[in-house]
Amino acid sequence: MHPILGHPRRLAVYVALWLPLGGVLAALLALEGALPWPRAIVVAVPLAVLFGFLSLSAWYVARGLPIGSTGLARVLVTAAFAAMISTAIWLLFSRGWMEAIAAPASRNVTLPFREIAPTLFGFGTLLYLLAIAASYVLAAFQTSRDVERRGLELQVLAREAELRALRAQIDPHFLFNSLQSISALTTADPAAARRMCLLLADFLRETLAVGARDRIPLSSELALAQRFLAVEHVRFGDRLNVMVNADGAEACGVPPLMLQPLVENAVTHGVAHVIEGGTIAISARRHGSLLSIAIENPCDPDRPPGRGAGVGLANVRERLRALFGSEASLHAEETDGRYRVQIEVPVEDGSGISDPRPTVIGPRTTP
Amino acid sequence: MTSDDLLRIVIVDDEPLARTVVREYAAAEAGVDIVAECANGFEAVKAVTELKPDLVLLDVQMPKLDGFEVLELIGGDVPVVFITAYDQYALRAFEVHAIDYLLKPFSAERFQQAIARARERRRATLPVDEIVREARPRTGPVERVLIRDGTQVHVLPVDKIDYVEAQDDYVAFKSEGKQYLKDQALGAVEAALDASRFVRIHRSYILNIDRIARVELYAKDSRVAILRDGTKLPVSRAGYARLSELL
Repeated sequence: MHPILGHPRRLAVYVALWLPLGGVLAALLALEGALPWPRAIVVAVPLAVLFGFLSLSAWYVARGLPIGSTGLARVLVTAAFAAMISTAIWLLFSRGWMEAIAAPASRNVTLPFREIAPTLFGFGTLLYLLAIAASYVLAAFQTSRDVERRGLELQVLAREAELRALRAQIDPHFLFNSLQSISALTTADPAAARRMCLLLADFLRETLAVGARDRIPLSSELALAQRFLAVEHVRFGDRLNVMVNADGAEACGVPPLMLQPLVENAVTHGVAHVIEGGTIAISARRHGSLLSIAIENPCDPDRPPGRGAGVGLANVRERLRALFGSEASLHAEETDGRYRVQIEVPVEDGSGISDPRPTVIGPRTTP
Repeated sequence: MTSDDLLRIVIVDDEPLARTVVREYAAAEAGVDIVAECANGFEAVKAVTELKPDLVLLDVQMPKLDGFEVLELIGGDVPVVFITAYDQYALRAFEVHAIDYLLKPFSAERFQQAIARARERRRATLPVDEIVREARPRTGPVERVLIRDGTQVHVLPVDKIDYVEAQDDYVAFKSEGKQYLKDQALGAVEAALDASRFVRIHRSYILNIDRIARVELYAKDSRVAILRDGTKLPVSRAGYARLSELL
């Protein structure tokens, strides 16, 4: 699609730009003494506008020879060639035009045309070359805008993928097991059953609320993890203990639910496989411009390689890469029956992140 | 009520609350006697071996030994009702073999149904190997072998196995001078083990290739493998071909 031909308004502006150029050409002709002023204007302005239309073809020359992939010599030769051909065609029209406007008495225009032809040729060639140069600039501009638009599209896609991942992260096991716990407590301990319902509702509500935001304070993310673990505590009883230590990093902004898959893993692939259970420790610390968060849990070194293990970890890694590129990192290691995941993300201060509900971080969850 | 009508059950679940529900439902059911409650697979194998219950209510997700490993160890003669929250593979295996299962959370009516069905088919035998294979599609070879020795369970990491020998209806896993008998076919063992580390050298032997010291010609077309500890095992012609391919 031609950037000017296809748009009537741009075309009007373009033509208007050629009127003063016609004036310049008239001045050249008049000052040369080849034509008197009024006649020079009558000859030059329409011819300039005509040449404006011929110059539109420069766009195709530029498009056909992209600078990056064509040798410079070839570009220059082709441009010069195109300029001369266009100008030659224009000269034919010019002669015709001078004939058309000549007084009926002096039909012979050969002499005055010969006089002004070199000027016309120089003027035409130069402007056509300028038009080619302008076309290159325009093409580059268009390309960069396309790249920018594609970048935006990719961002939108990434965001969608991220949200999809979030939705997928609520584990059906967790829901069914929680319902089982509530079912068990209903007769055994009705008050505890109600507390469990409230814990679960809080957790689900909070998950939905933060999922729509770009960043939340670390304190909110940790509070959410603690709600989740409080629900799991009802199920696992004394086998599941929790320690959380944010160490002054509470206000740092983090992507919502970033820790959730890791905390779920700590339960499902960690504590749940150890008969005597153990403590899940979450600790966060700020080192200058980096926020470092570690999740540690006991695990059974002999546990069978379960399905789904590693999916949560891969999701978190993927998300960190999409959000922070190489600035974020994730390391997981297992030593002597303890599993440890450490995340490092660039610090984003919580100043711009509003948190409607104040959250209290305690050293230990006791549901 | 005669003793034939009394259904003796064992509850196996690592979560105390989950056992609470089963206990509550079972108490409301006439003729059901809870003979044991187990919080893990080892306790379950012990209880089932000692008490020979009429029905085992078996949770699928448990630490150390999961429900299918317990099934593998107690064999198919004990009627089992599986309990799970959500496990698409397990469910498919249950459907295929018409095994009764309870999905958490389950109702008292659903529990009664399962008990009634268990009473009807007390004598049914389960195809354990098939169920275990389908319920847990393995991504690779096994990393450990489970062996029941009376009420005890041995968990044998495969790299501790020296060789496996077929003995009548059993296979014997030889490891660090000890022998563990398991009620399984040698072909099934061969299929489960990592084919790049274990090779069937003979109709009756599977060898851990790390244990080989050398192979000697014994007679025409017959060889012996000599292990690092001096043990000699016969190598058949086909077995030697397989072995040479690996080494």
